[in-house]
Amino acid sequence: MPEMTAKPFRRLFKPNYLMVYATLGIFLLLYLFGAVMYGGIGFTSLRTFLLLFSDNAYIGISAVGMTMVLITGGIDLSVGAVASLTGMIIAYGTTVMGLHPLLCIAFSLLVGVGLGLLMGACVQYLNVPPFITTLTGMFLARGVTSLISRESISIKHPMIDALAGIKFYLKWPNEAGEWVKIKPVASIDLITIIFLAMIIIGAIILQKTRFGRNVYAIGGSVQSATLMGLPVARTKVLVYGFNGLCSALAGIAYVLYVKSGWNLALLGSELDVISSCVIGGVMLSGGVGYMWGTLLGVLLKATIPAIITFNGTMNSWWAKIFTGVLLLLFIIIQRAVVASSARTARKAETST
Amino acid sequence: MKHGLKWETLLRSKLFWAVVAELLILLVGFIIRPDFLNIQIRTLEDGTRVLFGTPIDILNRSSEITIIAMGMTLVLALGGTDISVGALVAVSGAIALKFLRWDVLVYTTPGDYTVMPFAYALLVPLAVCTLMGLFNGTLVARLKIQPIIATLILMVGGRGIAQIVTNGKQFTTQYTPFKFIGNGSILGIPLPIIITLVVVVAMLVFVRRTSYGMFVEAVGINPNASRVSGLRSGVIIMIAYIITGLLSGISGLIYSSRIISNDSNNAGLGYEMDAILAVVLGGTSMTGGKFTLMGTVVGSIIIRTITTLVFYFGIVSEAIMAFKALIIAGVIVLQSEPVRRAIARRRERRQMNLGGELHA
Repeated sequence: MPEMTAKPFRRLFKPNYLMVYATLGIFLLLYLFGAVMYGGIGFTSLRTFLLLFSDNAYIGISAVGMTMVLITGGIDLSVGAVASLTGMIIAYGTTVMGLHPLLCIAFSLLVGVGLGLLMGACVQYLNVPPFITTLTGMFLARGVTSLISRESISIKHPMIDALAGIKFYLKWPNEAGEWVKIKPVASIDLITIIFLAMIIIGAIILQKTRFGRNVYAIGGSVQSATLMGLPVARTKVLVYGFNGLCSALAGIAYVLYVKSGWNLALLGSELDVISSCVIGGVMLSGGVGYMWGTLLGVLLKATIPAIITFNGTMNSWWAKIFTGVLLLLFIIIQRAVVASSARTARKAETST
Repeated sequence: MKHGLKWETLLRSKLFWAVVAELLILLVGFIIRPDFLNIQIRTLEDGTRVLFGTPIDILNRSSEITIIAMGMTLVLALGGTDISVGALVAVSGAIALKFLRWDVLVYTTPGDYTVMPFAYALLVPLAVCTLMGLFNGTLVARLKIQPIIATLILMVGGRGIAQIVTNGKQFTTQYTPFKFIGNGSILGIPLPIIITLVVVVAMLVFVRRTSYGMFVEAVGINPNASRVSGLRSGVIIMIAYIITGLLSGISGLIYSSRIISNDSNNAGLGYEMDAILAVVLGGTSMTGGKFTLMGTVVGSIIIRTITTLVFYFGIVSEAIMAFKALIIAGVIVLQSEPVRRAIARRRERRQMNLGGELHA
């Protein structure tokens, strides 16, 4: 009987979760630091907290797909360029060609998924390393975006404006019992909803479906997965396709965020996405990672620039250095976790 | 008989195919613009004579990538990657200009002016970049961290460091010896080409005259087997990253000397990708193992030739990426295992058919 009750607790202390806890702990510490230092000027307000989500929604949406790719042991460097291409398709389609935005959005989703599937097929069937395949995909997407237009195209369409304007204001009852907006005004916008929805969908796919279990199995060991008769090829190609979908959605979120398309938009954002995942405890060697960790990673990485903005005297480049330091810290934590779990595995082996 | 055998090995050598590809691209350029291959001697205002022409320009402009790619070849042959080289280029330029600055304060006294002895402006950047290479190498070799993530730290943090060094400012310099690195020439040959030549020869000597190159290939093919047979793979891996750091520093000096300024945001942007491409185009496999430094040189020249050619078409510079992507896609598909196996099988079948006919 006591074993039964102890089990869920022991599950919570699985070494794989340790990295997610580390992310959570450091996020809370950093947030506490911000609250102590800049609580007086509104760092702890709900508005600042929700802005962490909406300012980084495009990074977060892309990180959902990236988490899955990294768990299979691959990598995708093309996400930023594909998102930029998506933005350009929507901007060029609506502003220059005068098409309906929904048509452009549908087409850009198709392009994203298509590019993802193509790269997945290259990785799987041609045995080209993911790094090189997706690097080529990045060049291709960036180049095509530049061929469409070199100038930034701003989008002026009532529907895009309406979509970007969707906001649910947080309200609370005042003394008279009426619901009024809280001060400072805080709202949840569409891209935050897409971001959180994608995190939940990603988590469900990874934890509750057969597809998700296959993803973890491939990341653990491709050979074992193949020998177990799992559909390795199909799963891998679909993971890259899903990542393409996420990149396109990230591009759409970015369009709603800045309302324009530009060929150099999101340059280098693939590294932001990958480092968010790594900070969130996803291992690049594959097999380990959780969607919730990625969510925390995105938030933790977003808190650094927020604190620097609130500080006001520090230069923006400190954000880069702090991100570098954070990456180093998390890599060392990962290393320690892997080493300790390998040690316990060896101990278990020798004891039996 | 012997002749036929040689032909076979030539056809199988990746360097040969890289050279053929380069010649084909040059031929296309020659057909489009007959003056594409012209080289002439021009006399500059100050009386120095300089070689002038597209081929010289291609060699000159490819030198930054070629130098970095020399180190990248070793790193890739060991099964690793170094994506921090672009940031190191920025760091090197920033530190050099920090020592050489000719900013607003001293603008009233024009002329050759340095804050510190000139040697500092060259040695300190190289030393710092070497140390950063050591940092990368330590993470990869000692802590056994995945190379792409280990070098991601400096790729993200490096540009921040470059901006801290110069406090976010962009300095310019008119100091003649420094300008000479990127813009000068000796006997009519631009100095970057000479520096590249020296680096390539030094690397070739280091790799082929010592046993280091063989060790790299051994570790790249099978790290465990080479460790068991007594190779200190950690030291070998670390040396490769240190060399790459140093070479990125040299490349950064050439870059900043060319623009006689530092640019922490844009210096070396995308160099890591170009360097990796140069190595892959040259025929070194991304998965580690055998490598060819000369192939890398040709790969780097191919990239620059494509860029120059696309400029001739009058296509916007950002769109070059699409062309690069198509060419690389072609190369990687041809190099990929299933395609190579299919070609080999076809050749085998043809030879078998031939043998059958002979018997009949």
